[in-house]
Amino acid sequence: MLAVATRPPNSVAARQKRRRMWNEAFVGWGFISVPMALFLVLSVGIFFYAIYISTYKWGMLGPRGFVGLKNYKQAFHDPIFLKSIRNSVLYAVLVVPLQTALGLLLALLVNSKIKGAKFFRAAFYFPSIASSAAITTLFIFLLAPAGLFNQVLSFFGVNVPNLFNQGAWLSDSRTALLSIVGLNMWTTSGTMMLFYLANLQSIDGSLMEAGVMDGATRRQVFWYITMPLLKPAHFFVVTSGMIGALQLYDQAILAGGADGSPDYSLMTMVLYIYNACFRQFEFGLASAIGIILFVIIFSLTLLQRFAFGSSAWRGE
Amino acid sequence: MSLIKNLKRKFFYFVLIAYSAFTVVPFLWSLSTSAKPQDEVFQSNILPHHATVKAYVTVFKHIQPSFPSLFANSLFIASVVVVLHLVFASLAGYAFARLKFPGRDLLFYVVLGTMMIPDQLRLVPIYQLLVKMGLINSHPSNYLAIFLVKAISATDIFLIRQFFLSIPRELEDAAKIDGAGPFGTFTKIMLPNAMPVLATVAILTFQGTWNDLFWPSIVLQSPNHWTLPFGILEFKGQFSTDWPPIMALVVLSTLPILAIYIFGQRFIINMQLSSSVKG
Repeated sequence: MLAVATRPPNSVAARQKRRRMWNEAFVGWGFISVPMALFLVLSVGIFFYAIYISTYKWGMLGPRGFVGLKNYKQAFHDPIFLKSIRNSVLYAVLVVPLQTALGLLLALLVNSKIKGAKFFRAAFYFPSIASSAAITTLFIFLLAPAGLFNQVLSFFGVNVPNLFNQGAWLSDSRTALLSIVGLNMWTTSGTMMLFYLANLQSIDGSLMEAGVMDGATRRQVFWYITMPLLKPAHFFVVTSGMIGALQLYDQAILAGGADGSPDYSLMTMVLYIYNACFRQFEFGLASAIGIILFVIIFSLTLLQRFAFGSSAWRGE
Repeated sequence: MSLIKNLKRKFFYFVLIAYSAFTVVPFLWSLSTSAKPQDEVFQSNILPHHATVKAYVTVFKHIQPSFPSLFANSLFIASVVVVLHLVFASLAGYAFARLKFPGRDLLFYVVLGTMMIPDQLRLVPIYQLLVKMGLINSHPSNYLAIFLVKAISATDIFLIRQFFLSIPRELEDAAKIDGAGPFGTFTKIMLPNAMPVLATVAILTFQGTWNDLFWPSIVLQSPNHWTLPFGILEFKGQFSTDWPPIMALVVLSTLPILAIYIFGQRFIINMQLSSSVKG
């Protein structure tokens, strides 16, 4: 009764309120209209278009007939594609733990009470700011047979010409991918350090103090209190690191060219897509591999989300 | 006891300084190499015996496209993309954070969901679409292709939305009482209060676009449109072992980002990370 008395459905106030609501809704739709249209076309629509293309034989001049899942079959019968999966996965499996551990270590170092913490933080982040093109080119120069890296090795008494690869790190198929692991561990750990730092600084220090009061050793405090509290950062760093690693392209094409030389040791999944697209003009095949890459990334993300528990994703 | 502590402390600083050398020396090395004559390139002297600016003359005058052209393209493309991101992400971020309209939450989840789609999956269909639109060409309209590909960012919308959610509602209520509509509230209250997150988005977008190799190498057709990373990729193949000019390009392409990093450090470090980790 009271509700009716204070808000009769057709009173001036109610009409005004409804008008304000609609006004707000229109402004809301207006604000999101352009970006949302772009998302719906260039991300959502494009996603389905990719699935569509992947079921066609599709060349320079457009579709040449529906082939169903043939592009997918063709991909899995190509030894170079299988090698590209192996390379991308091996690379991710190596680089993610390394860059995560190094990033965490750097964050812990910089977060402790030291003189010049700001300087060290800036220095450690430094390799993360340059473009991958610039940094990879620099890296190739440093790792050249006569380059700085081998000069330093010689300085420490290593007989470089006698090494199993004669010091040709990037042109030996046994060490090329490992060298790129080293490169990206070095550049990406700075970014990972920042994510861990942000998380470390949001932790209430009294929790650690309580641990110490209860007689825990520093190591116990670290493993049983600090590490679990860093769960949001672990999740973010591992997931984004994994996605980034599976998308390896810039460093591979710069160091090994479009063929991922030597001997396809730098042929990654994305480089394979690039080749299928712009050298063989097999757009159907390229699309199919894009879908395969998406499925791998998507399932790994779900798996990690499951492993870390869903609360980590929301950062609670 | 205190001796051990002191040693530990010294070792700690040794590690910090050693790793800093590891991150900084390679860049000093590229600077030094860019000023060396060719025959000194693989010598271990950090200061060139016969310093020369020949490499810089080469990249400014003798390569096609020259450094100024690559620089201008990088600057132009990165600036336009920054403006697009700021406009679209602040409008959408505000609507998703504060305005009530049917379909809001669903659409926001769609935006977040697009983060799962890798760029490499979008490569083929977007390329086909751009060809159909006639934007894959060597005319200035080729720039539109890259703007279209890079116009939107789910991450930026998310960042700005999170920031708007943290602004106290009282500020808006005060504006509403003064008779401001949603648009007035947005421009007069929300935007001025969101400067830190807008600066962060601007800096990170600029850095990301400036450094990007993937899309420019796929979309940009004419050498006149190439950006710096694309130029480095192409010239590294052409020069092969003529390292000083390549290192000059590396140095020159990194300096602007370094300058932005030095001035914008507090935005990059404090803002981006706390909001993305804490969600």
